[in-house]
Amino acid sequence: MRDSSSSLSVHPITAHWKKFLVLGLIGLGVAWFFAFQGMLEHHHRPLLSVLVGGLFWVSVLIGLLMLTMITRVFDAGWAPVIRRSWELVLPALPLVLLLSVVPMALLPKFRHLLWDWTDASHLLPNGHEVGHDPILQAKSWFLNESFFLGRIFGYVVILGGLVWALRKWSFAQDTDRTAGHTHRLHAISAVGIPLGAVTLTMLAFDCLMALSYHWFSTMYGVWFFALSIRLALAFTVIITYRLSHGGWLDGIFNQAHRHVLGCLMLAFTVFWAYISFSQYFLIYTANIPEETYWYNIREFDSITGLKNQWWSVSMYLIFGFFLLPFLILLFYRTKIIAGRLLSVAWLIFFGGLVDLWFNAVPRQIADKSGPEGFIVAPFLTPHLFLDLAALLGFGGIVIAVFLRGASRHETIPVHDPRILESINYHE
Amino acid sequence: MNERNERIHGVACTFRRPSDVFHAAERVRDAGWKCWDVHTPFPIHGMDQAMGLPRSPVPRLTLLGGVTGFLTGCLLTWYMNSYDYPLIVGGKPYWSVIFPFPVLYECTILFAAFGTFFGQFIFNRLPHHHHPLFDLPQFSRVSDDTFMIVLEARDANFHLDASRNFLLSLGGQEITVIRD
Repeated sequence: MRDSSSSLSVHPITAHWKKFLVLGLIGLGVAWFFAFQGMLEHHHRPLLSVLVGGLFWVSVLIGLLMLTMITRVFDAGWAPVIRRSWELVLPALPLVLLLSVVPMALLPKFRHLLWDWTDASHLLPNGHEVGHDPILQAKSWFLNESFFLGRIFGYVVILGGLVWALRKWSFAQDTDRTAGHTHRLHAISAVGIPLGAVTLTMLAFDCLMALSYHWFSTMYGVWFFALSIRLALAFTVIITYRLSHGGWLDGIFNQAHRHVLGCLMLAFTVFWAYISFSQYFLIYTANIPEETYWYNIREFDSITGLKNQWWSVSMYLIFGFFLLPFLILLFYRTKIIAGRLLSVAWLIFFGGLVDLWFNAVPRQIADKSGPEGFIVAPFLTPHLFLDLAALLGFGGIVIAVFLRGASRHETIPVHDPRILESINYHE
Repeated sequence: MNERNERIHGVACTFRRPSDVFHAAERVRDAGWKCWDVHTPFPIHGMDQAMGLPRSPVPRLTLLGGVTGFLTGCLLTWYMNSYDYPLIVGGKPYWSVIFPFPVLYECTILFAAFGTFFGQFIFNRLPHHHHPLFDLPQFSRVSDDTFMIVLEARDANFHLDASRNFLLSLGGQEITVIRD
């Protein structure tokens, strides 16, 4: 009988959390150092590395938050043993936001570099200043600095609040064995899903879409959701692979759990493709210049008019991030053999990074050598290594939070009413 | 009675509990039977493995249907928009993979559904208007409170007396010979 935390059996692999914390701090230190250097030279790209690295993990964690609430609302019988790992990693969500987007938005010099509409004196390719741009003036009820900052803090508070509530009563159930907590979490999740959906949509608008403020897409929030769930499922497959080979899920995580994760990965691979294509398709069909330019700078070189590096990146997204995982995941055996599913998860993990690059990095930089007064920021630059540092940095923090949490709480929800159903889950 | 009615379809045997029929199925599987079946009032988890059934071949026809549908959609849109009556719409090319994509994937889904639906008809050998088992009075109880294993005469292992004794050794309750 377990009734106090003193009887908690701590798994030895949780002791590695300090190593991951050190890795994380080194990565973050490198990324932020170069971002600071870049700021002094008025160069935005190093700062973008921190944004891409941070948003990659924000995306993973928002996906996990949504999956946690969705499995609660639907009383998913397979979920409890896996959901506890999600609950353990979730506090990293507000933390990553506080270490990436919040300082960027808060410090004016960083903010002006990334979100050029916040700097009224910024020069546009047509030679005018941002402050005199009629398109920005029309959008200024939404795109103004104080509302922007308020929204950024709002995301931290709302997402942090949801994480806090979902964890509090789930952990409380471990000690007081009250089934009522499951009903309470059901209700919290029912409210939390629409709240989380609006928050992640606005977050995608502010952190990614607002990087090029002329452009707009109403599908952007759904795209970010689809990407987040794909990344969250890939992350889950990767950590459960490790945890079921010498971790605390050894002998608990079975073939049917893997199958269900594989099926969800297939479903959201198709969903991501559907949303991404629909966004492209609507803009392609309508053919309105203020929308098409966003895709044009991702296809054509602004000087020669030939295909640029971003065109290859977009082809990778179609064939490497959709078609290949889709075809592999169609096979039943992919979904039940641990090694194969792990490979697809890594493929999706990498593809998600490429998708973030594709959305965040290309931008028009005012330059007289381009016939239309701008050049497009290229894909292949040494800053990709900086992206890697930021990714590992935030990743280290996330894993450190996860392992440290696992040393302080039950690693499966021992008194969840569905725990037996979850452990004995079969196809 | 004519010659036809004398032919034997197989031997049926009833069981009282799910665990009995489950373990009996494992023994039949291990004895190398190919043409046999288990009838239960409700699905028993793990019965596929206990019977040694392979996975259904229907998904292959689904895939075939999907690929056929995609190519049919390509042919349809290319023939109409680019070959038979070339027409410029919205400044787009006569044919590319982008503008007809909704047509392509709808055709993919439709033909994949056809592949699945008719695929299960083919592999289940439907339509099948009558089956010798329907003449068995005990068979209606299989949808209520009885479990049944049927060993069919077309299996190489089948020999009337030996098969009857084999079923008895598995713990079967009531053994009936089914005639065609």
